[in-house]
Amino acid sequence: MSMENINYKEEVRRKTSKPLLWIGIVSIIMFFSGLTSAVVVSQGGGSFLKIDLPFAFTISTLIIIASSAAFHFGLISVKKGNLAIAKISVLVTLVLGLSFILTQFLGWVALYENEVYAVGSQSTQESSYLYLLTALHIAHLLGGLISLIVVLVKTIKERYSVDNMLGMQVSITYWHFLGGLWIYLFFFLRYIIA
Amino acid sequence: MSAHHHKEDFLFKYVFSTDHKMISKQFLVTGFLMGFLGLVMSTLFRLQLGWPGESFEVIDMFMGSWAEDGVMSPDKYLALVTMHGTIMVFFLLTAGLSGTFSNLLIPLQIGARDMASGFLNMLSYWFFFLSSVIMLISLFVEGGAASAGWTIYPPLSALPQAIPGSGAGMTLWLVAMAIFIVSSLLGSLNYIVTIFNLRTVGMTMTRMPLTIWAFLFTAIIGVLSFPVLLSCALLLIFDRSFGTSFYLSDIYIGGQVLEHSGGSPILFEHLFWFLGHPEVYIVLLPALGITSEIISTMTRKPIFGYRAMIGSMMAIGFLSFIVWGHHMFLTGMNPFLGSVFTFTTLLIAIPSAVKVFNYLTTLWKGNIRFTPATLFSIGLVSTFITGGVTGLVLGDSALDINVHDTYFVVGHFHIVMGLSAIFGMFAGVYHWFPKLFGRMMNNKLGNVHFWLTIICAYGVFFPMHFLGFAGVPRRYYTNSEFPMFDNMIDINEFISMFAILAFFAQLIFFFNFVYSAFRGPRAPQNPWKGNTLEWTAPVEHFHGNWYGEIPHVYRWPYDYSKVDANGDYVSGEDYIPQTVPLGDNEKDGGH
Repeated sequence: MSMENINYKEEVRRKTSKPLLWIGIVSIIMFFSGLTSAVVVSQGGGSFLKIDLPFAFTISTLIIIASSAAFHFGLISVKKGNLAIAKISVLVTLVLGLSFILTQFLGWVALYENEVYAVGSQSTQESSYLYLLTALHIAHLLGGLISLIVVLVKTIKERYSVDNMLGMQVSITYWHFLGGLWIYLFFFLRYIIA
Repeated sequence: MSAHHHKEDFLFKYVFSTDHKMISKQFLVTGFLMGFLGLVMSTLFRLQLGWPGESFEVIDMFMGSWAEDGVMSPDKYLALVTMHGTIMVFFLLTAGLSGTFSNLLIPLQIGARDMASGFLNMLSYWFFFLSSVIMLISLFVEGGAASAGWTIYPPLSALPQAIPGSGAGMTLWLVAMAIFIVSSLLGSLNYIVTIFNLRTVGMTMTRMPLTIWAFLFTAIIGVLSFPVLLSCALLLIFDRSFGTSFYLSDIYIGGQVLEHSGGSPILFEHLFWFLGHPEVYIVLLPALGITSEIISTMTRKPIFGYRAMIGSMMAIGFLSFIVWGHHMFLTGMNPFLGSVFTFTTLLIAIPSAVKVFNYLTTLWKGNIRFTPATLFSIGLVSTFITGGVTGLVLGDSALDINVHDTYFVVGHFHIVMGLSAIFGMFAGVYHWFPKLFGRMMNNKLGNVHFWLTIICAYGVFFPMHFLGFAGVPRRYYTNSEFPMFDNMIDINEFISMFAILAFFAQLIFFFNFVYSAFRGPRAPQNPWKGNTLEWTAPVEHFHGNWYGEIPHVYRWPYDYSKVDANGDYVSGEDYIPQTVPLGDNEKDGGH
């Protein structure tokens, strides 16, 4: 493979990584818009009961905000050339991301103990929607965690620098988006279902 | 890129290729294979509709135990109708059409070495392939393929015990469609980003061929609407398999009350048609783009109203998202809301008429070269008008109610969406065959194919409007049980005869396609004397498209028959490729 070829590929990557992500994000937004609109339409049927949102979901909201802040701090550290702090920040982000999933799980356990079921004959529309929306958010978060692990490995290996941090920027954009998506879902659930 | 590219082994060149040209051919061949099956299915069920209850050797041969004594059973009839619709709409006209031509033409016409991400592009094809295989497997499971129609309305599709086709076949249908949606999204992502970010020097947005504009709008519509179908399918999967009640409420089946409560099948229709209507334009816009390009090249005239063409496609794309309610006039919708949807729907007539006007004015006094591609493009203009006019009837709630769910609807959408899109696809294949396979197709066979196809197509779908006016309902296994339809049987026979003839006409095309791909005469680099960039690339395929530097662009793509003040051709010939710099005092077109 010639040098020119490699340069071209690098240029394509530089030009297209972020737009690819942004348009992917648009399609995810449409996916969740479809689902939350479905909730609103179903609610128009008039049979919605209120469900108490578990406190764990409030905690997870705080955790995901903190994780976004930590990741952002990591990015700033790379820009300043302070890789030691960057490593710690990304690691903290990953731990917070995993804690988010844990608190979501605790939330489901609390719901289950209150006899709010996801599926089966005792489930209701509102309970099914509640589990489905939170679970689908986690499904998207798993992609974010995988990219976070890649970024962590690369940060530890000191691959990033001021001139070379595209992968980290793409990952952080997606991570912030997941945080924003959760905050939207949290308030949506809080005021529509709960 | 170096001319001596590295040697690729068979597996990576033909199977797991990341080259957009190879992926384009993979989409084309898979799409056509699926389309052929869809065609066979429609021919078989047309036999039943034309001569209900009669025994046919050919049905016996193809369907075996699915048709005792050569008579198709009612549940297999429903399965065939459903699979025909699904295959034609999604597998042939969405993936086959868009996948083939977006992949082939986007990098070649904007001057890029490949798509933004070859890997995602490859994934897009393989998800499509997997989805096709699962869809075909669903034909052979217990109970048969999905049978609720291609729109799979619940509760029929949501209750596995409803009819035989609501069982495993329906589950596989949903799985296949979920994978299909992923494929389509990966493709669309790539198309949009490639068009926005990888254009060659000088290729401004307003110097892009209309094909590229059409593919861009198609991809944008896809990214916005397919995720909603995914959410729709997901809720259905949960209702079917996990006992939720999103679409189901207080249903009795076989004397038993089911434990579903609170849901509404109307919710499904809202979610489904929010994709479903834009899907019409996902199918249609690429065909319109292809036609714009071919009509301009083959009349040796600049396209009339380049900017108006872009604007009308943009308007159609936008409107497509706010008209979905016109599929639901009979769901108990508030008549005021119905009139809003009527209004937005009828608005689509304006940009559509702009496009038709521009096609006709481009053809007007053109130096037309009647290749099969030209014929099919003009055929598209014809079907777009015929089908569009009946769209005004169906878009108006007061009129629609009278012909809802009759053959009028079947006639309308087959002409405006099915025929227009497939004509565009045929036109594209005849026109870009030299680019795809480096060989020419046979024009004589192509002409025969066109004339037989358009005559049969009108023979099949035009009479359906009369059936619809008489109230004959669509999707019924037979209409022979209803005395008021007894005098319609001749029309059904007439339609079926044309359907059978249309089937044989397509065999001519498939023969021409396969034979020419291997034995056709070698194609010159620029067989149609076109201006666009793909004709500056060498005939042989290699990853990277151009030896040396990517060509730069200096003008719009429609400088055909451009004359100077003396009335002489500017370049001495009746076309000026986009790579030729503007002369002194020469203005760029399209502005």
